[in-house]
Amino acid sequence: MKIGVKVLPRSEVLDSQGRAVEKTLAQHGKTVAACRVGKYVQLEIDAPTQEKALEQAREIASFVLYNPLIETFELEVVK
Amino acid sequence: MELAAKLKHYRLNQAEYEKIKEVLGREPRGVEWALFSALWSEHCSYKSSKIHLKKFFNKTERVLESFGENAGVIDLGEGERVAFKMESHNHPSYIEPYQGAATGVGGILRDIFTMGARPLALANFLCFGESRAPRMSQLVDGVVRGIAGYGNCVGVPTVTGQTEFHSSYNGNILVNAFALGLFRPHMKIVNSRARGPGNWVVYVGAKTGRDGVHGASMASESFDANSEAKKPTVQIGDPFYEKLLIESCLEVMEKDLVVAIQDMGAAGLTSSSFEMASKGGVGLTLHLDKVPVRDQTISPEEILLSESQERMLLICEPAKFPALKAVFDHWNLDASVVGEVKASKTVELFWRGEMLCALDPDVLVERAPLYQRRYSPWEARHRESKPDKLLPVVEDANEALLQVLRDLRGTSRDWVYQQYDQRVGGATARDAADSVAVMRLPDSGRALGLVLGCRPYVMRWDSRQGGMDAVAYPALELAAKGFEPLALTDCLNFGNPEKPELMTEFVAAVEGMSQTCAAMRIPVISGNVSFYNETLDQNVTSTPTTGLVGLRPNLQAIPASHFTEKLDGIFLLRLPQVQLSGQLAELKPGAPMVGQGEIHAHAVAGLVRLLIQLARQPYVHSTRLVGKFGLAYALARMCLPLGIGARTAAGDWFAEVREPARSLFCEHLYEVLLAVDRNQETALRELIKSLAVDGLKIFKLGETGGDRIVAGRALDIPVSEAKRAYQTGWEAHFEGLE
Amino acid sequence: MSGSKRIGILRFLGTNCDRDVWQAIEAVGLAPEWLWYQDRFEVSRFAALILPGGFSYGDYLRCGALAAKAPVMASVREAASRGVPVLGICNGFQILCDSGLLPGALVRNEGLRFIDQWVELNLVNSCPAFAPQAVAKTPSRLPIAHGEGRFYVEAEGLKELQDQGQIWWTYADNPNGSMANIAGVMNREKNVAGLMPHPERAIFDWMGGDDGRSFFTSLV
Repeated sequence: MKIGVKVLPRSEVLDSQGRAVEKTLAQHGKTVAACRVGKYVQLEIDAPTQEKALEQAREIASFVLYNPLIETFELEVVK
Repeated sequence: MELAAKLKHYRLNQAEYEKIKEVLGREPRGVEWALFSALWSEHCSYKSSKIHLKKFFNKTERVLESFGENAGVIDLGEGERVAFKMESHNHPSYIEPYQGAATGVGGILRDIFTMGARPLALANFLCFGESRAPRMSQLVDGVVRGIAGYGNCVGVPTVTGQTEFHSSYNGNILVNAFALGLFRPHMKIVNSRARGPGNWVVYVGAKTGRDGVHGASMASESFDANSEAKKPTVQIGDPFYEKLLIESCLEVMEKDLVVAIQDMGAAGLTSSSFEMASKGGVGLTLHLDKVPVRDQTISPEEILLSESQERMLLICEPAKFPALKAVFDHWNLDASVVGEVKASKTVELFWRGEMLCALDPDVLVERAPLYQRRYSPWEARHRESKPDKLLPVVEDANEALLQVLRDLRGTSRDWVYQQYDQRVGGATARDAADSVAVMRLPDSGRALGLVLGCRPYVMRWDSRQGGMDAVAYPALELAAKGFEPLALTDCLNFGNPEKPELMTEFVAAVEGMSQTCAAMRIPVISGNVSFYNETLDQNVTSTPTTGLVGLRPNLQAIPASHFTEKLDGIFLLRLPQVQLSGQLAELKPGAPMVGQGEIHAHAVAGLVRLLIQLARQPYVHSTRLVGKFGLAYALARMCLPLGIGARTAAGDWFAEVREPARSLFCEHLYEVLLAVDRNQETALRELIKSLAVDGLKIFKLGETGGDRIVAGRALDIPVSEAKRAYQTGWEAHFEGLE
Repeated sequence: MSGSKRIGILRFLGTNCDRDVWQAIEAVGLAPEWLWYQDRFEVSRFAALILPGGFSYGDYLRCGALAAKAPVMASVREAASRGVPVLGICNGFQILCDSGLLPGALVRNEGLRFIDQWVELNLVNSCPAFAPQAVAKTPSRLPIAHGEGRFYVEAEGLKELQDQGQIWWTYADNPNGSMANIAGVMNREKNVAGLMPHPERAIFDWMGGDDGRSFFTSLV
């Protein structure tokens, strides 16, 4: 089963990459209200149920994939 | 596939096909086509240049290894030796600047540590087009980030370089990477000659993927409108993996666990295996199905040609394999046995038990075609004997100085160098801010000087003189810091060698370089040729890049490149050989640079000897060569770092020159500025006299001090204003790059 | 040098300032010893531990994150809790933050580029083990070389650092957008310290300055 882990910088942390992308977009007339740049980690997990896979993914994400001080994460099941 | 289509696919011509049949005594078959395509490419075989490269002065008592090995090695004495080399990554960097430049750094580093040397320093010679040319700011950004991304992570400092801009590079940038490694007294030089029948062939490092298949033959092609579409063949570098390879390879070599080693560079496994066998005079069996692969669907031909990065091939005695494997395990790397050395001189390739081919390695490596491309004897060009025409047009010297300090060619390179880690390794004594990078040798405490050379604008004036200058100018730069120039590596970037006018420039430059090397006894110990640097028939400036290494007994009192003291006497040494209207002339479209005279290598060698002595006198505080844009620019650059001005109103230079405002911007080969303790003028003059250099003139210009740059009545501006121009020029040209 | 104090230098895959730190430790007459990322070690054998700079695991995932999970870190944690002085430099600082031994985190430089330059630093609070007030030069001139050196901590965290005197060094001219100009911090007990600038690159005059020496002489 594939579980996607979306990691984004926390809103109160200045996201310098997001700011740069936002500025460039604006220069091309593509104005957006906000832009944040994060990362995406895809895990292939061998688990009996989707719940178990998500649980395992959550544990892995908290172990090392994100730093709660500066980042948040969300899980998704990859179809 | 029909023959014509096959030849096109494998980038071979009819004559080469005939030659393949001749050396094989039959038609080529199966993977042999791919092997010949790769190893007979210009990139691997040097078929257009080899005849001329043999002319290079390449032997002194210091040379331990030169062409034929991964890099040249010279002896520094006291047990210390250095390996160094320079290589081009022009085409890949134009297609994908970040990865192209990054893998260029990775590749040149592997050439160094495969010899057994620990990488000590990196440098780069970059030529870009005009800042407003299509894609140019992205190319500049990507290349610099790529070099930084790889070099910083792998932990080798990037300590010097050169960054040039000219419209001839608009469609074909140059990215030449230089690397130098150190052998400390206990370290052995390791070579790439396979030996010992029964020894194992071991594959180490990253798994093989489809990256860069046909890269070697692609590099031997001109760009066309479809270059963008060639992206899939670009290799991806992993500096973290390279760092592990450096540490593990140096460890197995130090523990004497390898017989021979070579990296898989251009044409990957093909060139490394056939070259190792050919050089060692042995055969190999290789089981391609044992090569670790990223993707199981990869074909044997693709395995042979893959240019996946961070891979090495080594030869190991079977009894030592467990110890060797343990070292790689320790560094988290895989080592797989993929074949065996054989006494009979045949390389046999197997795929799942079936023999794909059996070839004498010399057929591929030694019998590649050699071309005597058409060229003509060199004829001097852009000559001008009228003194007035030799001076650039300058109405207001103050304005002109600010203009060149802001110009992309004259402005600060801090934006580039601050992105490079210049100090990792704890050996950097002078970084890229200086004209010569200086590294401390850890065992003897001596100083090693590094500098890159070649001034494309001198090449645009005259290829022969430009070739001489590509050796002379950096040699003088080393000498001006008290370093004895010891040896040189080069990277010859030229257009299409099949065009006689281009080949004529190539031959003229090589002869000029060689003659200068011989006069100065600076051997060429390694190098690389990059042809076909043209896009849609537009050639780049012929650019024979050089990297020179010099030695100085100590690190104490190396002259600065800027003024360090107030009230020092400012002197100008001039060896009048060539006068150029200077790069200022090139600022005006349609006004090519002109010049007169020619370089006399033996006289310049005399100036090198003199400067070495001068720069080791503690009373010589600062030295700087007068280069692009002439005297005013050089003087300004000496004032800027510490904000110490120059008062050069009363010196005897002004009595001699015509039209000082214009003379301040023309260039004489060669001139050197010195700042000297004011109480030591007599000592200085006596030393210069005692080391008589024919034709050398010495002028007293004035003294350091104040906060303005003053030259007679022609020039008078505050140092702070010049500094602002120098520091803001880059941004003004590349607004998008923060 | 058998009589001198033993200083453990940690090596992770991708550490690249390890030899530089070794050179600095030897220069001040101490005895360096390598500590490998996969090994635990006897904490009491060491007078201090240093986590050098570099790109552990290529900075992949998040700088310092993968190294922070290495087996050797259990011993580092034990040492820290027993009061052994621990210094993290650059990537070492990032590792100490990511492992929770130091507060805050280091994120991408505000300008998004790697910066190599000499900077001027002010000593805010003295660290007893490394460059204590008595020997530290302030301001000190040291080189920085990093792409992710912008110190970040939440507002309450910053207040706590200020109240507890845990801010170690600040930049005179902030190069990377660090919060409150912070270049280095300490834990509450002040035996664990980290900074982005490289003292080991300023040990001898020929390096361009020797203000970094006091970070190591204080261990003698």
